[in-house]
Amino acid sequence: MTSGDDQGGSAAAHAASPYTFGFRLAAWYALIFVASSLLLIGLTYLLLASSLRQRDHEIIQSTLDKYASAYLQDGLNGLSDAIQSDRGAGQHETLFVRAIGANAQAIYFSSPEDWTGFNLSRLDVTPPPGSETWSDVRATRTRDVLEVASVRLPDGVIFQVGKSTRSREDLLGRFRAVMLAAFVSVILIGVTGAALITRPALQPIRDLIDAVRRIMATGRIEARVPARASGDALDELSTLFNRMLDRIESLIAGMRGSLDNVAHDLRTPMMRLRSIAESALQSSDPAVQQEALADCLEESDRVAAMLTTLMDISEAETGTMKLAREQVDLAQLLRETLELYGDLAEEKRQSLTASASPGLSLEADHNRLRQVMANLVDNAIKYTPAGGSIAMEGRAENGDVVLEVRDTGAGIAPADLPRVWERLYRGDASRSERGLGLGLSLVRAIVEAHGGRASVTSEPGKGSTFRLTFPRRERSGAVPPHLSPM
Amino acid sequence: MRLLVIEDDRTIASFLVKGLQEAGFAVDHAEDGRTGLRLALTEPYDAAVVDVMLPGMDGLSVIEELRRQKVRTPVLILSARQSVDDRVRGLQAGGDDYLVKPFAFSELLARVQALIRRSTGETQPTRLVVRDVSLDLVSRRVERAGTVIDLRPREFALLEYLMRNAGRVVSKTMIMEHVWNYSFDPRTNVVDVLVFRLREKIDRGFEPKLIQTVRGIGYVLK
Repeated sequence: MTSGDDQGGSAAAHAASPYTFGFRLAAWYALIFVASSLLLIGLTYLLLASSLRQRDHEIIQSTLDKYASAYLQDGLNGLSDAIQSDRGAGQHETLFVRAIGANAQAIYFSSPEDWTGFNLSRLDVTPPPGSETWSDVRATRTRDVLEVASVRLPDGVIFQVGKSTRSREDLLGRFRAVMLAAFVSVILIGVTGAALITRPALQPIRDLIDAVRRIMATGRIEARVPARASGDALDELSTLFNRMLDRIESLIAGMRGSLDNVAHDLRTPMMRLRSIAESALQSSDPAVQQEALADCLEESDRVAAMLTTLMDISEAETGTMKLAREQVDLAQLLRETLELYGDLAEEKRQSLTASASPGLSLEADHNRLRQVMANLVDNAIKYTPAGGSIAMEGRAENGDVVLEVRDTGAGIAPADLPRVWERLYRGDASRSERGLGLGLSLVRAIVEAHGGRASVTSEPGKGSTFRLTFPRRERSGAVPPHLSPM
Repeated sequence: MRLLVIEDDRTIASFLVKGLQEAGFAVDHAEDGRTGLRLALTEPYDAAVVDVMLPGMDGLSVIEELRRQKVRTPVLILSARQSVDDRVRGLQAGGDDYLVKPFAFSELLARVQALIRRSTGETQPTRLVVRDVSLDLVSRRVERAGTVIDLRPREFALLEYLMRNAGRVVSKTMIMEHVWNYSFDPRTNVVDVLVFRLREKIDRGFEPKLIQTVRGIGYVLK
């Protein structure tokens, strides 16, 4: 019970994880988007504020210089004229101008009409001669600030020019309002953008989860992740996942198939075994019983051989056969086969020959290749009449290694041709011959496990050619150039 | 000669014990790995036959433990698996030979005897003689009743193998292994053909016929 609950709990947690993952992804996206926008806005604001302040200071500074020189040249009248001409020109807003005489009395005072409320007593400083001194005066009622530059002229008069920050604050205030609106829209864009981007991006993962869940729920491996063609990593994951499922499916099908076949194929020899034993029991003749026991032994050997071969075939077909790959010299391979079957062919008065391009080799499992050649030649000898010939040949062709076994035997009817590779398929002509009916299936399975192809062409009455084509591997460069077709 | 058989299947075990006793061995039988290991460690056996699949402690572990404790008794491994991998693993564990089930008893007997011969370091003769047939391994000359018989290399190899195992049945698989060095059974009648040829040369015109077929098992020369 508890384990079931645990499973349910973990399943639920797993079910939630891609969505929380998606949410986290979206949240991060939005956060980074908003934070960087905020940083950008803040920097812009600071830059704007400081450059506005800079500009105001420059105005104050230049006005101070101008008015001071006007005063020094023409006295208070000159100053007044300069101020009047500036106002007339409407060059900029009205500035605060004050000149304080030696007795601490204002000898000149001019300020815009619309502003009041600055406590000017704070401006009664005595700046050192030469350079100007800056001071800020805060308004009593509003948040305006009066920025004032003071300078002491050579005659002892303190000269002051000031400017209210109101217009600057107005501008910055408007800027803030605009930026706030912009920021709100940035947040909206960030959040919706995150949702819009992460949702479709996570779709392949959701598909993957759906597929796995379907497979786990139904136990059927046919489910596939919908393919898309975006070519990104998630897409590749889906493709690989599908390919893995394909492979698992073919393995399962192969195993199921071979199990069915083994079960089916064993019934016949087991039946034969049983009937031999049964008829021996009914007989009282010791000679008959002796014979039956020998038959039983032979039959059981056949069953064992059949099992071995069937297992080999299914291992090769499902890709679980272990191949001890090494460089196999084809001339040697054919020589071994020739040695094994030479006597048998001679006995049947057939000519068995082998020819291989010298130095031609193939990276393959030597023992399995011997098995393949043995099966093909055994077959050829069986179905070739006396006086016929069987030729083995190994050669390079279009960069591939080709092994051929040609015979001048009975040939195979066109209708039977595609079926010769099937397990336990035996053409009418071959039923009388002893054999398991598995040889060619094994040949094809082993050849394909090596990445090669097996094919057959035949002309009834004239003979058959079995041809194995192995793609040459990079490493097998042992072929002398003059033998290579390249 | 004392033998130890470690095999849990009673039918196979009694078949083995009986057959080996008839062949003149004193045989002990253990039904599981631990009992077998204890016996093998305490008694001086000339050879042991060990099944791989055993209750308690599997055959390969038994062999590994024996070798670890420096017991050099030659071991024939019995297994239901026949892939090259399994064979290699068995030999790596310290086994000396490997036989796949199902097997012919005669083959097991021949392999056990070969193991004992090898471990006792019996000197290899240069000349084999069975009845009136003699085979000189150095000059490669074969005679029967004084008549020189001309044999082809593979016929010679087969005769040598049969004479070395004179009186014992050898299976077709064993002949394939020794004469052609093929470790798989191609399900072919090349062995029959070779035996037929050898008979033509050794037995034709002579009495008694030395090479006999044991149906369902193999051949024997006696």
